Amino acid sequence: MITPEQKNLKLGFIPLTDSAPLVAAQEMGFFNQWGLNVELQKQNSWATLRDKLHVGLLDAAQMLAPMPLASSLGIGCAKTHIITPLVLSLNGNAITISQQLHVEILNENSLSHVTLPLAGYLLRNVIQTRKQQGRPKIKFATVFPYSCHYYQLKDWLAASDIKDDDVDIGVVPPVNMVAMLESGEIDGYCVGGPWNAQAVRAGLGLTALTSFDVWQDSPEKVLGLRSDWQKQCPNTVLALTAALKQACIWLESTPNRFEIACIMSSKKYLNAPVDVIAPSLIGSCLTELSAPPREIPSYNQFYKSQPGSINIPEHIRGEWLLSKMQSAGQLDNVNVPDDIVKQVFRPDIYQEMHEKSSIQS
Amino acid sequence: MACALLSWHYTRHKPLPNKVKILNVTINQSTNLKDELRILLIDDNKQRAESLTIALDNSRYKVSHLASPSSGLLKQVEIIQPDIIVIDIESPSRDILESLNTISQYNPKPVVMFAEEQDTQAINMSIESGVSAYVVGDIQTERVKPILDAAVARFKEFQKLKNELTETKHELASRNLVDQAKRLLMSKKNLTEDQAYKAMRKTAMDTGQKLEDVARTLMSLLNTL
Repeated sequence: MITPEQKNLKLGFIPLTDSAPLVAAQEMGFFNQWGLNVELQKQNSWATLRDKLHVGLLDAAQMLAPMPLASSLGIGCAKTHIITPLVLSLNGNAITISQQLHVEILNENSLSHVTLPLAGYLLRNVIQTRKQQGRPKIKFATVFPYSCHYYQLKDWLAASDIKDDDVDIGVVPPVNMVAMLESGEIDGYCVGGPWNAQAVRAGLGLTALTSFDVWQDSPEKVLGLRSDWQKQCPNTVLALTAALKQACIWLESTPNRFEIACIMSSKKYLNAPVDVIAPSLIGSCLTELSAPPREIPSYNQFYKSQPGSINIPEHIRGEWLLSKMQSAGQLDNVNVPDDIVKQVFRPDIYQEMHEKSSIQS
Repeated sequence: MACALLSWHYTRHKPLPNKVKILNVTINQSTNLKDELRILLIDDNKQRAESLTIALDNSRYKVSHLASPSSGLLKQVEIIQPDIIVIDIESPSRDILESLNTISQYNPKPVVMFAEEQDTQAINMSIESGVSAYVVGDIQTERVKPILDAAVARFKEFQKLKNELTETKHELASRNLVDQAKRLLMSKKNLTEDQAYKAMRKTAMDTGQKLEDVARTLMSLLNTL
């Protein structure tokens, strides 16, 4: 039995398909079951979610997996020790390109159609031609500087020897992605659901590949909270972790995933149609209006992997993310303590929750 | 990329509604206290934007207002080249500004938050962790100018400290490099410490390079030979 010291919590989330564990924990009563009264607070930007967590206006939050490291190192913000006791999801992002870039790719490579996942090298002729004609570079958008989206986009391009200088990469809020693709301000983006399926359903884009095609099974969203808050109320953190873990287990069944898609479509959460939220949740990647979807079984993964669990914040996962921050040049001139990953990724808290809650691992 | 250190605490006497409304202010590093400062104000709330603009009339702050900023924000930033960006912290466009350091020459940084919530603990915590300024209460017009003044001053102070730290670090690294090259030269070429140092200094002067660069070339040469 876990008795939380603090029962009333404010939990921040960004309206995205992979906020499903937080919504499920609330709507299915898992928070209540663990003695917590949680207020889910929808946030409009990652930077504001982070700042509110830092100053205690939020007790905990769904975060992009690299964010707790960025906070604890003080990059892009004031240094605040943020920890993660639970990984909430794996994968879930995709790269979508505009119809216009799609046509350019076909023309420049004399192709009648492309195969998916799209090979990055097909962009090289487009880059070359645009340069010769003095046209602007291909412009991609991601959601935040310290996000898997950014590193995945860079890795996909780098695998085809496309240099950072060959394209422009900017940051655009997820809610504005589809509109900017339509207006032609950007040629493509790497974002989480439902914003890829949204562009496909609107006939505006081609989802060229998913993040699972670039990286296999890397943490995407994690539960983030302040280290000093965890010290103040360790049992609250255990209860919170247990409730969210239970939600992740609940999300394993397909009927439950349909149910959560319906709940999340409401104004309170994603405010988007079910037909753009549900596909990725049941392992289907919409590609193009006229083409069949691709089957990506672990498109949104919340729990299962054999054997063991994806929810443990293992150090090796943190080391991987840190190495990606390093190669993106984000750690230049930053003092990185040797044990930073151990300070931030806390499998010990997860284990304690597991022992005290007797929830399956 | 680092955040500006700045703390500012303004307490209001009457109790406030428990509603958060925060503005986040971003300042360009190259501001000078006496110059006119361009402010880009991004706020959907027209009334608030207007009162802020009026409050800064006849001051050195010149406000350009942008109401719906989601598209073309960066273009606007390039055109206006603001010294300070004041943005409603609830705006989704905040994340766009987060990337300014990496994608633009222009280098504004977050410094101040105006919050409409009286939570002393949260404010103290933010100040202790050096987050940014926290201003509690409505943005009362007479408070706006001094807040911005303080923000600019503190930001410059922080920037100076940060630059000094970077310089010191660089100097240490450079000294270390020269030392290593010197020792390598001594062992490989059988020179005394003085001879090795003079040889390096002469090369540097003859070729118009920094001593540090000579050391780097020397190390890679001697190590491969």
